[in-house]
Amino acid sequence: MSTDSTDGAAERPTEEITVIVNGEPVTAEVEPRLKLSDFLRYECDLHGVRVGCEHGVCGACTVQQDGRTTKSCLSYAVQADGAEIETVEGLAEEETDSLHPIQEAFHETHALQCGFCTSGFVMATKELLEENPDPTREEIEEGLADNICRCTGYQNIYEAVERAADAMED
Amino acid sequence: MSTSHPAETDADAESDSSRESFTGQGLPRVEDHRILTGEAEYIHDITPENCLHMALVRSMHAHAEIVSIDTEEAEAHPDCELVLTAEDIKSEYNPMPTGVGRIATGEDGEPAALPEWALADEKVRFVGEPVVAVVASDRYAAEDIADLVDVEYEAMDAVADGMAAREDEVVLHESVGSNVVDNERLEFGDPDAAFEDADHVVEGEYTWGRISGVPLETAGAVATYDEESDSFDIDCNIQLHTLVDNMIYETLGYEADDVRVNVPADVGGSYGTKIGIHRYCCLTSMASQQLERPVKFEEDRLENLQGGDMHSSDREYQMRMAVDNDGTMRGLDVWFVDDFGAYPRYPINQVLKPLSVLTNSYEIDDVTYEYDLVLTNKTSQTAYRGFGVDPHIYALEMIVDEAARALDMDPTEFRRRNLIRPEQMPYTLPSKNLYDSGDYPATLDRIEEIIADERDGGLLDPEVVAAKREEGKYRGVQPSVIIEPGASGSDWTDRQRTDKDDLATRSRDEVEELPEHLRAEIREDGSVHAFLATDSSGQGHQTLVSQLLADELEVLPSDIEVGYLDSVDAPTEYGSAASRMAVMLSGATVGVAERLLANVEELAADHWGVSTDDVTYHDGTVDRLGGNDSLSLAEIAELDAETNAADERRTRVSYNYNHPATDLEEFDEALTSKLPVYPTAAFGANAPIVEVDVNTGSVEILTFHTVRDCGTMLNPMIVEGQAHGGIAQGIGAALLEEFGYEENGQPQAITLFDYLLPSIENVPEIQMEHTETPSPFTETGAKGVGEGGMIDAPASIATSINAALDPLSVEEPASQIPVAPDHLRKKLRESEQ
Repeated sequence: MSTDSTDGAAERPTEEITVIVNGEPVTAEVEPRLKLSDFLRYECDLHGVRVGCEHGVCGACTVQQDGRTTKSCLSYAVQADGAEIETVEGLAEEETDSLHPIQEAFHETHALQCGFCTSGFVMATKELLEENPDPTREEIEEGLADNICRCTGYQNIYEAVERAADAMED
Repeated sequence: MSTSHPAETDADAESDSSRESFTGQGLPRVEDHRILTGEAEYIHDITPENCLHMALVRSMHAHAEIVSIDTEEAEAHPDCELVLTAEDIKSEYNPMPTGVGRIATGEDGEPAALPEWALADEKVRFVGEPVVAVVASDRYAAEDIADLVDVEYEAMDAVADGMAAREDEVVLHESVGSNVVDNERLEFGDPDAAFEDADHVVEGEYTWGRISGVPLETAGAVATYDEESDSFDIDCNIQLHTLVDNMIYETLGYEADDVRVNVPADVGGSYGTKIGIHRYCCLTSMASQQLERPVKFEEDRLENLQGGDMHSSDREYQMRMAVDNDGTMRGLDVWFVDDFGAYPRYPINQVLKPLSVLTNSYEIDDVTYEYDLVLTNKTSQTAYRGFGVDPHIYALEMIVDEAARALDMDPTEFRRRNLIRPEQMPYTLPSKNLYDSGDYPATLDRIEEIIADERDGGLLDPEVVAAKREEGKYRGVQPSVIIEPGASGSDWTDRQRTDKDDLATRSRDEVEELPEHLRAEIREDGSVHAFLATDSSGQGHQTLVSQLLADELEVLPSDIEVGYLDSVDAPTEYGSAASRMAVMLSGATVGVAERLLANVEELAADHWGVSTDDVTYHDGTVDRLGGNDSLSLAEIAELDAETNAADERRTRVSYNYNHPATDLEEFDEALTSKLPVYPTAAFGANAPIVEVDVNTGSVEILTFHTVRDCGTMLNPMIVEGQAHGGIAQGIGAALLEEFGYEENGQPQAITLFDYLLPSIENVPEIQMEHTETPSPFTETGAKGVGEGGMIDAPASIATSINAALDPLSVEEPASQIPVAPDHLRKKLRESEQ
């Protein structure tokens, strides 16, 4: 065993980026290798961005970048320089603390259990309903096929999307 | 039995009391808001100030000697804080406790030690085994430093097949001398006579591939050593933190009270698997002690899949069934090998749990049950939803199909003839566990009605089925009634560490069952705070306890907050596993509420100077009989605070609910002989309509019908959620998931591209009906419900695939789980020859 008392830190190149995160500009010096998911979790303190696989399968880290969903574990923060990012933290009405209709629908239909995938599903649902306000079951299946949930068996997620679609139509 | 919608359950509850009952309602969960807004703190989100980060160097060999470890370059890295190897930890700490502990071995029967160090010592025994730990300021730097460690290996032959490992050509642990580290043969009734007398004996071999829970959240631990108190605080997402904390404190060489294990309120799924993450808790603790700073480890997905100590059952079955011409099941002979990987860890008793449902829903008196527990060059097993029952039920239903075929009898009719009947309840199995209640024939009848509807213009309409066959698509379904054992006892779980000779003479007084602990207190604002001694990972325990306690205290669920106790504040208890919590928490809640209300009445009576007979409690208020005085819960809590010291408050109580089997003589034989005790038997019948494409070997489930009974439903919404999730995991097991290995021990599934978790496209619509047959053995009539879908879905899908391909005379098409396309194509090719 050895402990190291060397004071000098390793030289690690950084780059300055500015990202609009949930409507607010965030400027930071980041390593080019910093994943966008880690930037959001640790630089922006947005823990709702969950990291489940870091290879683009599970979808727990899904956010919106310039209005389109993206798996934030698959890109680097520097690639988001100048972009607008929306995470699950940006959905609830800040002043009234009232949930977004999609969040409300997930709650009412028991569409989450452990909740680790939930941010990703909520963001994927948001894009789905923005593009298609009244999706069929097949369209829901297609729209959410890039996200994995290990707890719910997806049954109540269909219900949640349909309920959210109804609520957002009104 | 009552067939009911949740609404009817509510009506029943209302008839007992003028007050609305929250229990039995699908109350939305209190856990949801923080999760949906991103505020929930999972273990990955916990990073104390000044925290350092750990990365692990892992073996790329399945079996090799460690020749040398060169850490010089790593240590020279400017961000490096610490490098640990086995040599470093062996001088200060202990090996991690193993499941079988000391193993009898050799002709002299001398016990051999089987030490598992948190870092590989001298040898590596599976791909992914941690060899070196490095600590740095952040994870990125730690990974850089891990890359600089140079480990030289001398590769050895490996064994990665359970059957082959029994030959001991490659031996994992020289100190033991054999890979078979545990085995037992149990006989019930007179199986020899049954097999001799019966008209037919059928045999079959079935494989259950290595699968596991694979929660979306990987393991994590943050350890903080405090030099002044010489103690550890560990935040982690371990499951059963009050039971398995010994894995951590024994390894560290400390007393239980000096190692505080705390699990966040939100854990991103476990399904049993996180019981085995203690290695990470130990390593972060050791590093924190060396550095006197908090140290965090977050497992990544590649580590998790290949070396995360988290795979589960991996079995080869040889089944025999004795049957008579009239369709009577006479005898059953179960033999299997379970491949536990490199070390026999805690869940070795997964091989025993099937005894609790030995003959499933069938009456068979004469049975043998034998297993070999073997070690191979794979990552160690942990628990997974079903705890070893799922493969047993699958293998049993396969031999039942085979027997029906040998008798040329309709497989459903064959099953019906042998079902345990409602008038036999409670029914004692040959293996001494009891089924509490249920009408299995009625459940089979109901699922048959549903299938009849599908045959009449539905998915199984004969015209549709015939047309599909023209395209090479074969549809079919085969239901059976399947039991989910619930609310495990704890005493039996160390059977494998017990001298079997002592069991015959063991008395009932020697049985020690762990109770369920619950605390509750009333605060001066009138709110009630309850504290669970178990951890949760998505089951909704906070919601459940607030519902139950609101009813008992006649307040609103919103008046109640539910928190968690760490391993030091909580007593040693079992926790959430083995479909226990609905039963155990309802018992504990009733007990804690009774105690709290008795004290509340006494406090009020003392205040007024009257007898407790002269006061009455209702709806959060104590009234003085014959007077106008009343006191609210808030006022009572204030009175208590004024008169009693903080540690003597009477508005703070705890209760230990004894396991229900301990009060029931019926379980005495099972308890004293350490046979699995599961006093509740939930049950159900599935009808997955499958379609097999004979050209590709792929299987699609068109719809999944299920009729289920878990006794009284405390929260029907949560009950259904548990069933949905279990069935989805069962679908993954049956068709998609497997941790395959090359012969040389190289893992084939190390990403989620290889280990296929079911997506929304793989899970069909689940059409669910419930019946409610209350358990006579539990406080609320509830039965365990957490594991059912995972236990029954794989068997039902496999029997349905057999049924679909019945017209093609394929030899046991579903003889292997998962029934993957390559397996089915092989079977189909063989049948064409």
